[in-house]
Amino acid sequence: MSQSDPVSGGSRSLPARERAGYRRLMLLGGKLLSALVLLLVGSLVVFLTIQAAPGSAALSVLGEQATPEAVAAFERRHGLDQPVLVQYLAWLGNALRGDFGVSLSIASGQQISSLMASKLPTTLFLGAYALVLAIAISLVLGIYAARHRGKTGDTVATSISVLGISMPDFWLSYVLIFFFGLSLGWFPTYGYVSPFVDLPGALHAGFLPALAIAAPMAAVFSRTLRAVLLETMTRPYVTAARSFGLKPRFVFVHFIFRNALIPYLTIIGLQIRYILGGVVVVERIFGIPGMGSFMVDGAFLRDLPVLLACTVTFLAIVVLVNTLTDALCSFLDPRRSR
Amino acid sequence: MSLFHRNSLARRFLHHRTALAGLVICTCVLLAVIVGPLILPYGPEDMDFMATLSPPSMAHPLGTDSFGRDVLVRVLNGGQVSLTISFLAIALATVVGGGMGLAAAYHGGWTDVILMRFADLLFAFPSFILALLLMVMFGFSTSNIIFAIALVYLPIFARIARNSTLLVRDEPFVQAARLMGRRPVAIMLTQILPNISAPLLVQASAGMAFAIILEAGLSFIGLGVQPPTPSLGGIMSDGREYFSRAPWVLTMSGLAISVALLGINLLGDGLRDLTDPRLRERN
Amino acid sequence: MKSMTTLSRRSLMAGTGALFGLAGLGISSRAALAQGTALRAAITGYGVLNTLDPARASLVPEFYVIWAIYNGLLKFDDQMQIVPDLAESYELRDNGSIEVRLREGVTFHDGSPLTSEDVKFSLERLLDEELASPNASKVAVVDHVEVIDELNLVIHATGPFAPLLTFLTNARTGTQILSKSAYEQLGPDGYSRNPVGTGPYKLTSWDTGTGLKLEAFEDYFEGAPALKTVEVPLIVEEASGVTALLGGQIHMTSTIPTSDVPDLMNNGNVQVLRQPGLNVRFISINLQKPPFDDVHFRRAVSMAFQREAMVQTVLFGEGAPLHGFFPPLLGDYYTPGENSVTSFDPEAAKAELARSRYAADEHPVEVITWGGGWWKRYAEIFVAQVNQVLGTRFTVGVTDSNAAFARQTTGDFVAGVWGWLGFIDPDEYVGDILHTDGWRNMGKYSNPEVDALLEQARAELDPQKRAALYHEVEAKAIEDMPVIPCFTSNIHNLLAANVQGFTQKPYANFGDQFMKVSIG
Repeated sequence: MSQSDPVSGGSRSLPARERAGYRRLMLLGGKLLSALVLLLVGSLVVFLTIQAAPGSAALSVLGEQATPEAVAAFERRHGLDQPVLVQYLAWLGNALRGDFGVSLSIASGQQISSLMASKLPTTLFLGAYALVLAIAISLVLGIYAARHRGKTGDTVATSISVLGISMPDFWLSYVLIFFFGLSLGWFPTYGYVSPFVDLPGALHAGFLPALAIAAPMAAVFSRTLRAVLLETMTRPYVTAARSFGLKPRFVFVHFIFRNALIPYLTIIGLQIRYILGGVVVVERIFGIPGMGSFMVDGAFLRDLPVLLACTVTFLAIVVLVNTLTDALCSFLDPRRSR
Repeated sequence: MSLFHRNSLARRFLHHRTALAGLVICTCVLLAVIVGPLILPYGPEDMDFMATLSPPSMAHPLGTDSFGRDVLVRVLNGGQVSLTISFLAIALATVVGGGMGLAAAYHGGWTDVILMRFADLLFAFPSFILALLLMVMFGFSTSNIIFAIALVYLPIFARIARNSTLLVRDEPFVQAARLMGRRPVAIMLTQILPNISAPLLVQASAGMAFAIILEAGLSFIGLGVQPPTPSLGGIMSDGREYFSRAPWVLTMSGLAISVALLGINLLGDGLRDLTDPRLRERN
Repeated sequence: MKSMTTLSRRSLMAGTGALFGLAGLGISSRAALAQGTALRAAITGYGVLNTLDPARASLVPEFYVIWAIYNGLLKFDDQMQIVPDLAESYELRDNGSIEVRLREGVTFHDGSPLTSEDVKFSLERLLDEELASPNASKVAVVDHVEVIDELNLVIHATGPFAPLLTFLTNARTGTQILSKSAYEQLGPDGYSRNPVGTGPYKLTSWDTGTGLKLEAFEDYFEGAPALKTVEVPLIVEEASGVTALLGGQIHMTSTIPTSDVPDLMNNGNVQVLRQPGLNVRFISINLQKPPFDDVHFRRAVSMAFQREAMVQTVLFGEGAPLHGFFPPLLGDYYTPGENSVTSFDPEAAKAELARSRYAADEHPVEVITWGGGWWKRYAEIFVAQVNQVLGTRFTVGVTDSNAAFARQTTGDFVAGVWGWLGFIDPDEYVGDILHTDGWRNMGKYSNPEVDALLEQARAELDPQKRAALYHEVEAKAIEDMPVIPCFTSNIHNLLAANVQGFTQKPYANFGDQFMKVSIG
């Protein structure tokens, strides 16, 4: 707790300003405080979980040669023989200074920050790619379904989106590989190309995994969009706008879609944790070295520093995205800001 | 009043294409997974080393797996297991999460802060990794899978319950009950719960589908139900390993899971459509 | 229906052939494979390498690469005979010490010449208690290394130790020779990732989790390798390795998923190398806990399952039943033929069970396994068969591999599937596993007679006499059933049709062959 005190204290010590500004600052301070508590508790929970689980990083590193002497030496070298609380505090002390330490059993001795520097962009690129695909698909399907409510078009669009959510990601991956990769030969079925090396190649090679990740999101987005649009359409101001004789397209864009945007964006913001850590299986199948596999390997190989660094990164990004979504929503609808 | 409402809902339900289609599929799936294993001539764990990896035939409509077990029987049994796991997990999440949200909103103050921060923490973790961590710590078993899935969905139900409770907390009938000196638990159960159950149930139906997918994903990376008990994800995981030699195992179990999910999703969509849209979750 | 499935299978294979020009493993998607210059040899089934320092290395993929970067004093030739490598000649004395004369004119990647000091440093470092090398046991018998002059040295042993010659080869030994000056300059952690050896290839880049790149060492003492660049991508999913090769993305893999082997053998575009491997798979049992503290129960279980069915269902036929502690390729040490206590015989099993002090279903047994692949199926088929034959209450307990290993090493188990691979000396297959003090003796088996025989065999330098001792060990120990032998797996390499010169060895070699490979 102590490390978060200077933050809130800092806000109090600021010279007097306008009331609203001060309140906003307090709100921000409170959010920052709760974010820090979240990070602290989250890392502690993960730490204790792995401590309680059977196994050791030493066994992952030493494999067939994990003699008791070698295991003991490994644990001594990495301070794993220290009391649990001491280990956690040591980690925390370093983490507060921005040092996540070195990996134990995924890339023994390597700085986690440098490992993260190669994994995070991969995940962010693929996630952004998938998100763009999902948004594009959902805009088409959702709007189409809403505007043709109850007609065949609605049923078709809804069925497509329901289909997208009715396939586990790995099953969808295999179906995509089979049809678009093996039968039609349009896309490669394995491997990752860095967008910084070859952007067209990255978009091409990343299409199938991005689509596999996008499909369930697209389904959720379009269903939400359809429902929200339908709800907005029945609002009195929309009826009023229509009765004024405004063009349907104008009414749709300015009265309906604009107001439907807020719940739509909220739902999109909620998917960030899925993009970060929910796509492990897709990463595995397509051989993509992303954050999800990194963290899962961290858990399986008992690489506690990697796991903790991933946890903190995940939680921080989730908090950040939530805040951004909130900000965007209050920008779109000033009434929402408290 | 509620009876009339339900009647009208039932009538509207039967005229709602999506909901009806979902109901029909779900009924068929349920019938198949319950009745199927009873009438088919094999058990899900019966091995036949003379007929390993045999392609679909009259004797084995969906072929056999690497132990010569009938894939159809395993898919039906696995469906039963997967559905049971998902149902129990979501039921647990609904009850506990709903209770948390209800209590948080009703009591407010520190109860609210602590309960909802706990939910936030759970919610900030990627669901797959949260489940994985729990399984690694507590070991793999059916009850732990249920527990893990429930924990993943708990915060969603907590949020919905909290938001809905906030809407009705200060309604006159709740105030009246409070003035009459009824205990908080009684008020929550008799006055508030009936008014927030619709959005919870709608979310539960959607959660069922996600729970099945999560269970399948966990099985896929080897964190599933203990063998020889079949689950849909487990069968698919096996089938993927020898896909090039026996493509029917993965294909058929994959189709089965899609049919079940299709039914549940259509039903959920229909229910969502039919219940008051204002009761949907908002953040 | 049948024709449809075969069709889909064929089109799958045909389809993959046309595809993979585009997906790159960290390489530009449109970069075509330049013929004859770069070998792309994928390590499949593994994603993690922690170190390329031989003294610290322990994982299979680490050695795959180490074999290309370093040499040992000795090596195995294509017939698995021990021949000199960095040594020009060597002589084993009766007291176990070894006189070595080094080759002249060998240089390390950094240009410094190989001297006796480097050998002394490399071998004695393994014994450093501070380092606690996982490979320390390989040279535990070494007392010190005496430097005679630049090229002559004596490895002094505390006593005769038969496996020592094997342990000085460039295999999974950790006794590869590194450059003392480079190590002192780089420090332990720097050296781990920037190895300096005498081997035909030197490391040029290493992208964690993705792959490594090697470059020919022009001053290699046997002449510069023909292939100037070797890329070693890491492909965790074995099946993805097959599709990548079929698409022409890579030239070879280190493994093949067993279920794909028959199809690939009929595929004219690829070559499948396969042979029985040096590995053993057994059921590890805890001899200190009921019901396996009863020898009759152990023997009953061993006779209650068909090892052949196991090989078929678990490995799709890519292996052989195992009736003793040694894999068949261990030459004279292997006892051919079946053994009555390790062969399927339901009647004998029931009779044996009747002599046990436990009823079949008295103690439920959890058989630990892990993951979702063949290790899981292995436990599944074992449990199903034993339960059916004996009426026991065995269950499968799937966990993750690290937890399974941890539970074995701490004795927190009753039974589990287990196995070791890549060992070359017979002592590695029984010494640590059956000896009372052996650290691989997870089930805490203890038989003084067996201990004495093991120690005797370890010190016996005459191969014939040594083999006889191991036969005796095996015959004695198998009656006690300290572990239940099940099967041994074949090893595989998948090569593109135009790749020549790779000689597969039963311990699953890899990087040591890069310099012999040519792409036609």
